[in-house]
Amino acid sequence: MSWELHNVAIIGGGMMGRSIATKVAQEGLNVCLKEISTEAAEASRTELEQSLDHEIARFGLTNSEKKAILSRIRWVTQFDCAADCDLAIETVQEDFGVKRRILRELDRRMVEDHPIVINTSTLSITELAAQNSCPERIVGMHFLYPVTTTRVVEVIRGQLTTDSVYERAVKFARLLGKVPIKVFEMPGFVTTRVIMPLINEAMHTVMEGVAQAAEVDLAIKLGFNFTMGPLEWADRTGLDRVLTWMQHLYSESGEPRFRPCPMLKRLVRAGLYGAKTGQGFFSYDANRRRTDRLPDDKPRLA
Amino acid sequence: MKILVLNSGSSSVKFQVIETDLERMNAHQDQTLATGLVEKIGLSDSRLVLKVPDRKAYTDYREILEHRAAIDWVLRILADPEVGILGEVAEVGAVGHRVVHGGEAFASSVIITPDVVQQIEDCSVLAPLHNPPNLRGYYAAHAALPDVPHIAVFDTAFHQTMAPHSFLYGIPFQLYTKHALRKYGFHGTSHRYVAFRGSQILGWEKDEKKLITVHLGNGCSAAAIDRGKSVDTSMGFTPLEGLLMGTRSGDMDPAIVPWLMAMEEMTLHQVNTMMNKHSGLYGISGVSSDMREIIEARAGGHQRADVAFRMFCYRVKKYIGAYAAAMGGVDAVFFTGGIGENSPEVREWALSGLEYMGIELDRHINDGLRGGEGEISSDGSKVKALVVPTNEEKTIARDVVRVLNGIMPSWEPPETVSP
Repeated sequence: MSWELHNVAIIGGGMMGRSIATKVAQEGLNVCLKEISTEAAEASRTELEQSLDHEIARFGLTNSEKKAILSRIRWVTQFDCAADCDLAIETVQEDFGVKRRILRELDRRMVEDHPIVINTSTLSITELAAQNSCPERIVGMHFLYPVTTTRVVEVIRGQLTTDSVYERAVKFARLLGKVPIKVFEMPGFVTTRVIMPLINEAMHTVMEGVAQAAEVDLAIKLGFNFTMGPLEWADRTGLDRVLTWMQHLYSESGEPRFRPCPMLKRLVRAGLYGAKTGQGFFSYDANRRRTDRLPDDKPRLA
Repeated sequence: MKILVLNSGSSSVKFQVIETDLERMNAHQDQTLATGLVEKIGLSDSRLVLKVPDRKAYTDYREILEHRAAIDWVLRILADPEVGILGEVAEVGAVGHRVVHGGEAFASSVIITPDVVQQIEDCSVLAPLHNPPNLRGYYAAHAALPDVPHIAVFDTAFHQTMAPHSFLYGIPFQLYTKHALRKYGFHGTSHRYVAFRGSQILGWEKDEKKLITVHLGNGCSAAAIDRGKSVDTSMGFTPLEGLLMGTRSGDMDPAIVPWLMAMEEMTLHQVNTMMNKHSGLYGISGVSSDMREIIEARAGGHQRADVAFRMFCYRVKKYIGAYAAAMGGVDAVFFTGGIGENSPEVREWALSGLEYMGIELDRHINDGLRGGEGEISSDGSKVKALVVPTNEEKTIARDVVRVLNGIMPSWEPPETVSP
């Protein structure tokens, strides 16, 4: 049967949902973005507009493009919009129960072979899919922060995912302008699994007093040509999320290299989650700009 | 012969049906039977508009998912007994396709063969946004009309007569041999038509004079045409170079790009969009990319609109001076494009102070000429200045006639140059 991508349902209007909605609408497709309440939908719309305005101020977008994007996104509060969608993607918090409930709602309404995408960095696609009437059409995608500019997305094949559904998810990734990395299900996939020990090691280096956090970050950033150091990356991703992933990787694999650094636990327990709270390893202003950069940590022409 | 002219974009197809042949061309009596477009291809509410002279415009909506369906729709409507203009689709004798980039492979219009398709595909790396949809339009039209000749007319072809000292950039030569990085120039179909038509109005044999054609529309470019051959043009490797445009910067120091990327931490995308969509008249004035609104705002005392206007005209003047120097003189300056045809203010400012070169404007005539063709220089002016409305579709239709009558040089695949 022929399948074309014209209408996309996005469940959850948070940062990830808005960012995907923006990109999909930019490509000329229609989006229905489901939030839990009218108020949440309104807030989501306001924040999406603000991020478009920010991009206009950075010259990355024009006013007419903003208008076109907004005209293609419809905010809704019911799952019914998914019925005539060619693909649905959920972008809610990393919680097995919540995601499973959403999958059931989508599964019940959508045409049988239209893909349902789970957006996760650590949960098992196979386990989530098992609860559905057609587990074959469930496929995973793992986006990386910041979603708008990071060019890669991991596309995760569950045990039962069919080839055709998988290829549709790959096509969706291409539409979003991302390079799809094809991975089989395994905790952490490629990116999270490889980066977590690096972040953990950076934290241990700070905890052991080898160097200050800012120096550790700058060394790695400049030394390996990263756009930001591992600690700033953790701050911007959210230390609470980083801790959750690490604990999950640790409990799934039993490998000590994933055991969260005590310093990370301490910061999270203190409510210092990073950029979103203004303080993590570093300090941030209300616009999530770092306020404590070292003098050497600045752009240079040559 | 009835010729279907197609300009296929990524989500739209513009079309015209033009009746012409050698006789009509020489008498300047080509007849446009219909114009129109299909837009929002790929969406469920695609729209077709058909305009036939002396009739009310016809509009229809339906779901059109790809170019093939769009072309089929166009042909069906053109042959519709009520709203159409053809008795049957078979009346279409040939199809002319606008193709943006012909690279170094095409110096004139050609009949599209599999070899030509391959060459156009090879040029896609130079025009990734334009050549692929141009080709999609061709595939669709060829499938619908397999028995008529299809002719490609390139935006870049006319400027292929530029010499290396004119088209090369001052960067390492191996970048030219490796990536074909050089000036190509665009609007070639327009510059060629305007040069021809302007000369015709003046009663000149088209190949004997030194002309400067100035196309001022959404995009702007100037060309130096020496005895029928383009010897220089202001757009470059891309349509960003040269004159100030509605939202494009035109000439600037390329060092600004890495500087901004470092100091403002701008991404490639942001800096590209900045130069292409946030600059030009709009970026300077903050008012509009539309010259009419700039002129209005400046009349109302808006200072940045005023400086945007001055920059725009100043650049045109600079290029006129440069091209006169390049050709060792100039016999005529032809203005075309939306702004060139409709803005006496811009023409006056661009030509002011050039009396020493022999360009003398008749202000009264210039002020009165909006949207028509005619001379705007004074009787005594040594150098003629004219307004010549452009017509790219007509030029494409005429090229179809020329190619089919063997008037243009036949094309052969270029020899491969080993690096």
